[in-house]
Amino acid sequence: MTTLWPIALITFKEGIRNRAIYGIFLMALMLLIANFLLCSMIPREVGKVAVDIALSTVYFSGLLLVFFVGINLMAKDLDRKTIYMVISRPISRPQYIVGKFFGMALLIIAAMVFLSIFAILSIFLIKLSYPGYFPRFSWPMVLLALALSTLPLILLSALSFLFASFTSSSFITLVLTMIAYIIGRSSYDVKALVESPEAAGIHPSPVTVKLVHVAYYLFPNLSVFDIKTQAAHNLPLAPSYILWAVLYGVVYTSLAVACAAVFFRRREFP
Amino acid sequence: MITITGISKEFKEGIGARSVKALEDLDLEIREGEVFGFLGPNGAGKSTAIKILMNLIYPDKGRASIRGKDVRDRETRRHVGYLSENPYFYDYLTAEELLWFGGRTSGLSSSAVKTRTDELLAKFSLNAARKRQLRTYSKGMVQRVGLALALVHDPDVAILDEPMSGLDPIGRKMVGDLILELKAQGKTVFFSSHILTDIERFCDRVGVIIGGKLRLVDTLDKLVSGTVSLEDVFLREVEKAGGGLQA
Repeated sequence: MTTLWPIALITFKEGIRNRAIYGIFLMALMLLIANFLLCSMIPREVGKVAVDIALSTVYFSGLLLVFFVGINLMAKDLDRKTIYMVISRPISRPQYIVGKFFGMALLIIAAMVFLSIFAILSIFLIKLSYPGYFPRFSWPMVLLALALSTLPLILLSALSFLFASFTSSSFITLVLTMIAYIIGRSSYDVKALVESPEAAGIHPSPVTVKLVHVAYYLFPNLSVFDIKTQAAHNLPLAPSYILWAVLYGVVYTSLAVACAAVFFRRREFP
Repeated sequence: MITITGISKEFKEGIGARSVKALEDLDLEIREGEVFGFLGPNGAGKSTAIKILMNLIYPDKGRASIRGKDVRDRETRRHVGYLSENPYFYDYLTAEELLWFGGRTSGLSSSAVKTRTDELLAKFSLNAARKRQLRTYSKGMVQRVGLALALVHDPDVAILDEPMSGLDPIGRKMVGDLILELKAQGKTVFFSSHILTDIERFCDRVGVIIGGKLRLVDTLDKLVSGTVSLEDVFLREVEKAGGGLQA
């Protein structure tokens, strides 16, 4: 831990002071203000729309953070050779990966806490203005949805570390991470579709069905962390589902970081 | 103290590209307490050898050790200070934070890091800029903070890759004085340069590397006499190597 903590801390500081993060925060604030204006213009379901927009804004901002600040934090180390100052200390390559990942996870959590405060404020103000539209509203469900949306971001960040451990360009890392995100968001629905093709009137080939299954089991199923609908409508959610989702996220993230550490062990920095 | 035995290294840039031999059967031994100058033209393999010593790249063949320990063992680097050529550090960190990182990861206590940070920032005239982010530093200041980072844990061995590169005369004098100070403290200094006057001023022994091959190793006294300068020796070796510059 004496080695991991300094790496995590300088990664966090380097990330939190990056100007790009202020741009992301500013955009999030504007969207949350827009949430208030939008809700004043629609005649019904204000409560559900307000919660949905607030949660989506926080998640989208988190995604931007992972794609454009997180990937850059690791890429800069490799491109500008700042990794020399780390590897020239008594630090192994796997320790570098794990420490760097902890720093990035800390950055995501801090950013999500900050964004969540504004999202909550936005919902609170809308609720105050239109109390009649919040008959089934539940703060615990909103908080749970915000907390759960942090996990896929940390998981995606772990995947970006995995991709960066064997690719030579930050652009390829970005593309692979985005592909993983798109597959992760849609694989559950696509799998359901190819498993009951008659319902949609489609005829997928056996190869397509196999490919969809491979993608489903290889890439993380990010839709399990999305409980926006339940939060917006205050629908019941079994505690076992939350536990399973958290466990799934933690295990998948750990595996991705472990694989990144193994690949990075062989990496050279000429 | 530093031993390099039969090290070879080839680089291949991209699929289908031809390989470039960066080092070929390099054997070198640097003794405890000596200042060793690694001299060679650009692309001769100086930085490649240093990067192998720092475990930044792996040799294709051979082995290297520092203080008897293989360089692949991360513990070896607890006693080594390293300054890379044209160093880059995290833009948004301050000098204080950088040295905190260097000290803590090398096993120093918080109070020891603080004492050492004060000492080194004063020594390298960076006290006034200690809380400024490194992205606001000039090239000379970056080089100086790099030296402070290399020495924060008071290492027995200092490996400096082109430490005078891009420095003004004041900065060069500062680095020169530092090398002499380390020598007086009995530390081992291994530094690369293609600036002959630097090598002549500070080194006990000199190694000349050209085209990835070590051409010559000897004490400065034996290489340089009244009529023969280090420049003569170097140019003669370059000529013997057929120009020495790789395509």
